[in-house]
Amino acid sequence: MSESLAVGRAAAPPAADGAAALDPRRKLQLALGVIWVLDGILQYQPSMFTKSFPGMLAESAQGNPAVIAGPITWSANLIDHHVVMLNAVFATIQLALGLGIAWRPTVRLALAASIAWSLAVWWLGEGFGGILAGTASPVSGAPGPVVFYAILAVLLWPADRDPGAPSVAGRAVGRRPAQAVWLVLWGSLAAFALLPAARAPGAISDMISDGASGAPAWLAWIDTHAASALSRHGLAASIVLAALLALVAVGVYLPGPAVRAAVVLAVVLAVALWLAQGMGELFTGMATDPESGPLLALLALSFWPAVPAKEA
Amino acid sequence: MGGPAWLTGIFAAASLAVAVYCAGRLIAARRWRRPTELDTDGAHVVMGVAMAGMLVSGLRTLPIAIWEVVFAAGAAWFGYRMLQARRGARPSPWRSSHPLPHLVECAAMVFMFLILPASAAVEGTARGMTMTAAEARFSFLTLPLAVFLFGYVVWLGDRVTLHAPALATAAGGTRPPIGSGPALVATRSYLAPRCAVICKITMGITMGYMLILML
Repeated sequence: MSESLAVGRAAAPPAADGAAALDPRRKLQLALGVIWVLDGILQYQPSMFTKSFPGMLAESAQGNPAVIAGPITWSANLIDHHVVMLNAVFATIQLALGLGIAWRPTVRLALAASIAWSLAVWWLGEGFGGILAGTASPVSGAPGPVVFYAILAVLLWPADRDPGAPSVAGRAVGRRPAQAVWLVLWGSLAAFALLPAARAPGAISDMISDGASGAPAWLAWIDTHAASALSRHGLAASIVLAALLALVAVGVYLPGPAVRAAVVLAVVLAVALWLAQGMGELFTGMATDPESGPLLALLALSFWPAVPAKEA
Repeated sequence: MGGPAWLTGIFAAASLAVAVYCAGRLIAARRWRRPTELDTDGAHVVMGVAMAGMLVSGLRTLPIAIWEVVFAAGAAWFGYRMLQARRGARPSPWRSSHPLPHLVECAAMVFMFLILPASAAVEGTARGMTMTAAEARFSFLTLPLAVFLFGYVVWLGDRVTLHAPALATAAGGTRPPIGSGPALVATRSYLAPRCAVICKITMGITMGYMLILML
């Protein structure tokens, strides 16, 4: 087995059934693979083979500078003309990425390909999450869920640049770069929460209400009540959300136990955001991914500080 | 079926191919006395036929009620196997070493047949697997079932390169297989373990696709 398969801190001992035991990094890689497989199958949904799919892509051009919007419109038009063939290709690529991450000999190739794919989709499919349009909000999934796939692929890369790092992310890219990624990511989410479009009265409430449409009764109930409760407190909700996200952002620089608390808070916020997003509108038949919540949670878990292994 | 006919046709063909291959495995295992998971292969034979019928109305064979009974029995069997494993029973190379995913697969089949609109079953229309409003109240089950199956698929994918030695150890050891007849003594290496894994992956993806269509 090649070095690339040594996904653990050391060679994995054989499990009871003869299979190699999974270390935390490999578990997170497989979780990422599951999300890619889910994405692929979501892309096979009937509505994706209709004109509504390129229409959805074209919408992401709105508000973006011409240099960004032009290629989005061009690709949406191209897909519009060959929607069945291209959508089948897109779905199959995503399915292949998931299976490629799962299959050990291709894990590096699949992760590398997922970075290229994610960045392309971030531009052509999500218009950079509305960052340049000024409409980005963590509640609506900014900075675009697909960019998290690329970040995760880097943080879960099967290499040990810093073998002594306490977290999976730190081992892959080094302690300080990983901390910087965390700070920029969660810090930018905090900043997005305070953008005029996100902090406007009723903005958060409206975004949560959107998540309720097409959702099962129990999820619609949660979102409707949350939207109702926040309808008159949009600014306060934005400030509280931004403060919590900022707390998470700096938490990674704190001592061990505080880092764990920050990671737990990050996971809780990810779950809350996912519910606010109507669980990525998975139940509508129009979802192409599960939105940012599960990816943020996965990303947070890659920063969980492991207990140092005892010397033999 | 809600999806494009060619796509559901591909998935139906894949599930039928798995059914035929697993039937072949059952015959080959008996003839060459090579161990295989009899219960898993048997389940995949009936599952492949049933799934093809759900995906393409022209491939329907048995009434829904019969399929429900078949898969309920399958779920009961794999549930029993799980209980046995928990009680510390020795694993057998002739039976599934991981019954939980197959229990979930059988339960998912029962679930899908239960909420499959009666009109589609009777009329054989293209409406297929789209749920009515009354049935949608059970939709909260479809997503976790699909995600579980995708998790199983990915886990299997991780094990493809490790599967052969793992099963060879189980099959070639000195432990006698539990409950296998005298003609089915495991003395040879496991029958085409990677092909068995690919069958499970194919069934997992196809069933996950069917569940996603029901969201």
